[in-house]
Amino acid sequence: MKPENLLEIRGLKKYFDAGRPTLFSRQNKYVHAVDGVSLTLRRSEVIALVGESGCGKSTLSLLLMGLEEPTAGNILFEGRDITHLKDHERKELRRKIQMVFQDPYESLNPTQTIEEIVNEPLQVHGIGHSKAERDERVKKAMEDAGLKPAEVYLHRFPHELSGGQRQRVVIAAALVLEPEILLADEPVSMLDVSIRAEIINLLAELRITRQIAVIFITHDLGSVGFFADRVAVMYLGRIVEIGTMLEVLEKTQHPYTKALISVIPVPNPRLRRERIILQGETPNPIDVPSGCRFHPRCPVALATCKESDPPFISQSKTHSTACLLLVK
Amino acid sequence: MYFVSFVFENSYTRFINPYFKERTLNRTRALLKKAAWSLFTILFVIVLNFFLFRVLPGDPARAGIRDPRLKKEAVEMLRVRFGLDKPVINCFESLNPIKLGSCTVNPMETQFFIYARNLLQGEFGFSYHTNRPVGDVLAERLWNTVLLIGAGQILSIIIGVIFGVFAAWKARTTVDFAAVITSLIAWSLPTFWLGIILLFWGSNNGLPLAGKATPGASSLPLLQQWGDIALHMFLPTLTYTIVYMGEYTLIMRSSLMDVLSEDYILTAKAKGLSTFQILKDHALKNAMLPLVTVIAINLGFTVAGAIQIETVFSWPGLGLSIYEAVGRRDFPVLQGAFVLIAVAVIAANFLADLTYTYLDPRVETE
Amino acid sequence: MESHFVQNQWKDRWLKFWAVFKKSRIGIVGLVMLAVIILLAVFAPLIAPYDSSSTESVTIDDIYNPPSATHWFGTDDAGQDVFSNFVFGARISLTVGFFAAFISVFIGGLLGLVAGFFGGRWENFLMRFTDIMLVIPDLPLMVVIVALTKPSLMNIIFVIGLLGWTTTARVVRSQTLAVKSRKFVLRARAVGAGNGHIISRHILPLVMPILVVQAVLVVSLAILNESALSFLGLGDPTALSWGQMLNYAFGRGAMSVGAWWALVVPGLGIVWVVLGLTLLGQGLEQVLNPRLETHHLMPHKPTVEDKAAGHGTGSLLEVRNLSIHYINEGKPPARAVENISFTLNKGELIGLVGESGCGKTTLMLALLRLLPSAGQIVGGKVFFNGADLTAMNDEALNKIRWKEISIVFQGAMNALNPVRTVGDQIAEAILKHEPSYPREKLGARVTELLDLVGIAADHKEHFPHQYSGGMRQRAMIAMALACNPQVIIADEPTTALDVMIQAQILELLDKLREKLGLAIIFVTHDLGVVAEICDRVLVMYGGVTAEYAEVDTIYNEAKHPYTQELLKAFPDLTKPKKKLASIPGYPPRLEDLPAGCRFAPRCPVAFDRCRSEQPSLHELGKSHFASCHLLEESK
Repeated sequence: MKPENLLEIRGLKKYFDAGRPTLFSRQNKYVHAVDGVSLTLRRSEVIALVGESGCGKSTLSLLLMGLEEPTAGNILFEGRDITHLKDHERKELRRKIQMVFQDPYESLNPTQTIEEIVNEPLQVHGIGHSKAERDERVKKAMEDAGLKPAEVYLHRFPHELSGGQRQRVVIAAALVLEPEILLADEPVSMLDVSIRAEIINLLAELRITRQIAVIFITHDLGSVGFFADRVAVMYLGRIVEIGTMLEVLEKTQHPYTKALISVIPVPNPRLRRERIILQGETPNPIDVPSGCRFHPRCPVALATCKESDPPFISQSKTHSTACLLLVK
Repeated sequence: MYFVSFVFENSYTRFINPYFKERTLNRTRALLKKAAWSLFTILFVIVLNFFLFRVLPGDPARAGIRDPRLKKEAVEMLRVRFGLDKPVINCFESLNPIKLGSCTVNPMETQFFIYARNLLQGEFGFSYHTNRPVGDVLAERLWNTVLLIGAGQILSIIIGVIFGVFAAWKARTTVDFAAVITSLIAWSLPTFWLGIILLFWGSNNGLPLAGKATPGASSLPLLQQWGDIALHMFLPTLTYTIVYMGEYTLIMRSSLMDVLSEDYILTAKAKGLSTFQILKDHALKNAMLPLVTVIAINLGFTVAGAIQIETVFSWPGLGLSIYEAVGRRDFPVLQGAFVLIAVAVIAANFLADLTYTYLDPRVETE
Repeated sequence: MESHFVQNQWKDRWLKFWAVFKKSRIGIVGLVMLAVIILLAVFAPLIAPYDSSSTESVTIDDIYNPPSATHWFGTDDAGQDVFSNFVFGARISLTVGFFAAFISVFIGGLLGLVAGFFGGRWENFLMRFTDIMLVIPDLPLMVVIVALTKPSLMNIIFVIGLLGWTTTARVVRSQTLAVKSRKFVLRARAVGAGNGHIISRHILPLVMPILVVQAVLVVSLAILNESALSFLGLGDPTALSWGQMLNYAFGRGAMSVGAWWALVVPGLGIVWVVLGLTLLGQGLEQVLNPRLETHHLMPHKPTVEDKAAGHGTGSLLEVRNLSIHYINEGKPPARAVENISFTLNKGELIGLVGESGCGKTTLMLALLRLLPSAGQIVGGKVFFNGADLTAMNDEALNKIRWKEISIVFQGAMNALNPVRTVGDQIAEAILKHEPSYPREKLGARVTELLDLVGIAADHKEHFPHQYSGGMRQRAMIAMALACNPQVIIADEPTTALDVMIQAQILELLDKLREKLGLAIIFVTHDLGVVAEICDRVLVMYGGVTAEYAEVDTIYNEAKHPYTQELLKAFPDLTKPKKKLASIPGYPPRLEDLPAGCRFAPRCPVAFDRCRSEQPSLHELGKSHFASCHLLEESK
């Protein structure tokens, strides 16, 4: 029987070396990019990972893809611990988790044709016994990604395609391996507004037709409103609030989430509401504040917030928040 | 001169900058590292030099030793004379690891150590040709080469910068095209050949044909002596300048064009600054930085030019020494000149590095 | 079948390459020059009138004869025909050059690739070694080595080859590093590709062009080195290369005899080959590594349209039927902006909304006449306080720039000069427009400006790279306020910033508008931001006005199909479950604009007239304008 959780992350940490002891400081400094993240993902589920720069979402995606080794913690795929794998085992796993990057202009090698690009994963994994079979798979992946008819695009080069089309090529190249999880790292933020929905709708569709789970990393909560099942809000390497879309939007608990939601611009001039604008910028992940890492900028911080690191407190079966204010 | 003033300007602001201390610390650290590296490179050259002359078969002393016609005593005398009776380096001859442990040879007495010690004391051995200490011969010639290269480099940098700036500023016009073509042609000229052509032209126009000074000029008053030297320097320096200004023009042009297409130039224009002001206050400083790097890298190659020019014009510098030593198979001189030139280039490189580090505020840490 | 297809692809790529290369005049000239000399060398025995090593009766009279009918280039010091020697000498010089260069390029390419790709200790060691070899002057070292060994041709080839790889290694390494860090390599790794695959499929194809250009350069250097070595007497005495010919001529009195032909001809051969190679290299570089040969200080082409100044109405800033084209040689002009009009009064904030390629940045740059040299205002006027900005010369315009109208660019790393302190650059703006500003007060004023935007005073002495993204943007705003302008143009000031920082900047701009009475033009693609702060909105599409109205009207009573569709495509956090619509197709390319309405190809309600006729701007009451045929009736 297949385990219910497709992907499980437990206490994942990734620290980068920030410098040797110098004349000014004695100990080794670390960039606490990801500092204790726990998450579960079920089959065909869509989780939105929301946060600003420096929150660790991109590092988290690299960790999940196995492109970086975690400093601590575990990643389990279908119950099996995949945190530290040897190269060939890792390669097998790559067929299950694929990634879509932010920049459609840089994600494609300008000297390769679209066919070569979408074919490449098959060649790397030695899938398909004949060229005809590989061609079939390529065609199917491209059409599932919305590039119909596939023949038109096969022999073109990336610079001949628009941003939206390029992103579809990246998705096709991910789909051709028939993955179970798609990691989309800000896949639409570099596209024109009028085309973003295309790609997002495509991902929503794929989730249904191919039963792919999606981890959607974004800084724009509104864009995934309609198709994300759950939302996790990240700050300085940790998840501070996680719940279903409606719970997080309407029953917001964490002060950071509240502030974030209040400043996301809404296209309605009649709804110019009270914005909670935090001062300053996200602190450097090298010098993480003591206690609750949000306390220096928190508009409702208490004295105790400086001392103790809040644990996760559940407001419901699906909704949890890490804030001392909820400890009552 | 602009270059001098812009270096000055930068240093002045540095002193009123409260972050001066912190950045200086970082920079000093970076510089010490570079100095250490330069010293290591010099060491490498010394070792390389030593092994080249021992390993490669051309040395007549060693060739002489193998000459079957020489009597045994003569061979022995030669060996002692040139220090070839001592082990090369510590037990090098027998690379037997067991024996190495029980090496009884005094490391001070190896050929290599003697050579290195002599070198550091400025002792380069004796010329095969004149039997004079090599150091003496080279010392006189070193400054002549520095004079020639110095003058030539300065002129070619100045001209290169000026042409390059105009070419970039007036990009895509006739001025630009002419500057680029001229530079490409200048760069393609073999240095010695240009020297020959200029010599030919000069000889038909009354310019001196060889050497640094007219024989007997040392009895003239100082000013006239200098004038005489300048006259002799004219053609060699002209050759040097033409060959290298082409490269500098092209580099300055592309560097300035890169800078002028940056966003901050548009910001400067939006501020209402005139074209001249923009060039002076924003573009030139930034464009010169890559040029400094190139000049540094180029120093090694410009020595190649010096050798050729000195040969053609019989200018009494290190390059001519090399040429003469090659012709006469005078290996101590050749060896000494090589080391001296290499060390000079490494030192000049280090100075260029120094300059760059002070000019670019982005160079904070390694 | 597969190989045939692959072959076709390669043929295609060659054809494409050749089509572009043909356009480079410099490259073609170089190629031709090289071809000539190579043919000369290859067919030497057929071309040379005399056999190269002929020992037919040579007498003293034959030495140094000037050019004549029997000897086109005269004779040399041994009485031999210079032309024949020249032709055969080409073979030697070219052979040495190419083979030595091959060795150098191979070693350099390999070292650079390994160092760049594998990094770590390998890179450290290899690059240190390369640095050492680079510093050591090459010709003296070659001289020493060749002098100590025998001066044979093979020897010379090896020596030049083994010492000539340094620049190639450095260039290949830096290119490898650059390619390695590109996203598609990361994607390949994410797919599971191993090192070998990545190197062969991704790194090599992108390093090759650089290597080719470098190889051409190395060949020319090798030829120059060989000729120098030969001239210095270290050439192979049995192989009469051009350098060797010059060695003999120079050393054997050609000058004193006046035998210029013996000196000029071989040298010209070297120049010809090296120049040909250099030009070819330049041409290849232009094709393989194209760089835009324009910059911000290039002058504009003179315009032919009417420069007569017009008169404005009472508004602070009035743009009237402005049209801007980009003129490129040999191509039809790109109609970037056509017929845009809007007004701005004191204290107003107008939002300029549009997607990529709609012309909004072009429009903004045109207001202050900051367009690139290809851009030209071909129609319309811009009035500032009644004065016609389009009719002013640069001198008059420079007084208005920044002093009255300033502009905040996207605070990217390079919008501020990286080698000057931020405080310095702000001070520069002040001094430009008030040259007599007392120096003692300058520092205080800069501090005041920075304080206004929330930057601490000590950051004055910092350089732009020491600022974070949000801080840089605020510093740009502080600089824009330096001369107390009346209008600020903000070109996508928050686009690259986090949403919280964006909120900070928006709040700041609003506060400043109130406090200083500024008028602001806010350019963005973010409909949410526009709704938050703007009074009026101009929606642009394909260079024309789609809709222009007050903000409330735009959002709640939009009439243009594009505006309506755009609103449907924009996420609304207050309605999270709303499925987002998208507009099929993509924004038009300026070089390829549709005949009628620019939005027709993507418009859900387009009809025939839309495809053939451009709609005019209809006024829909209450200062609401939209350009759509469907609105003609509802006037």
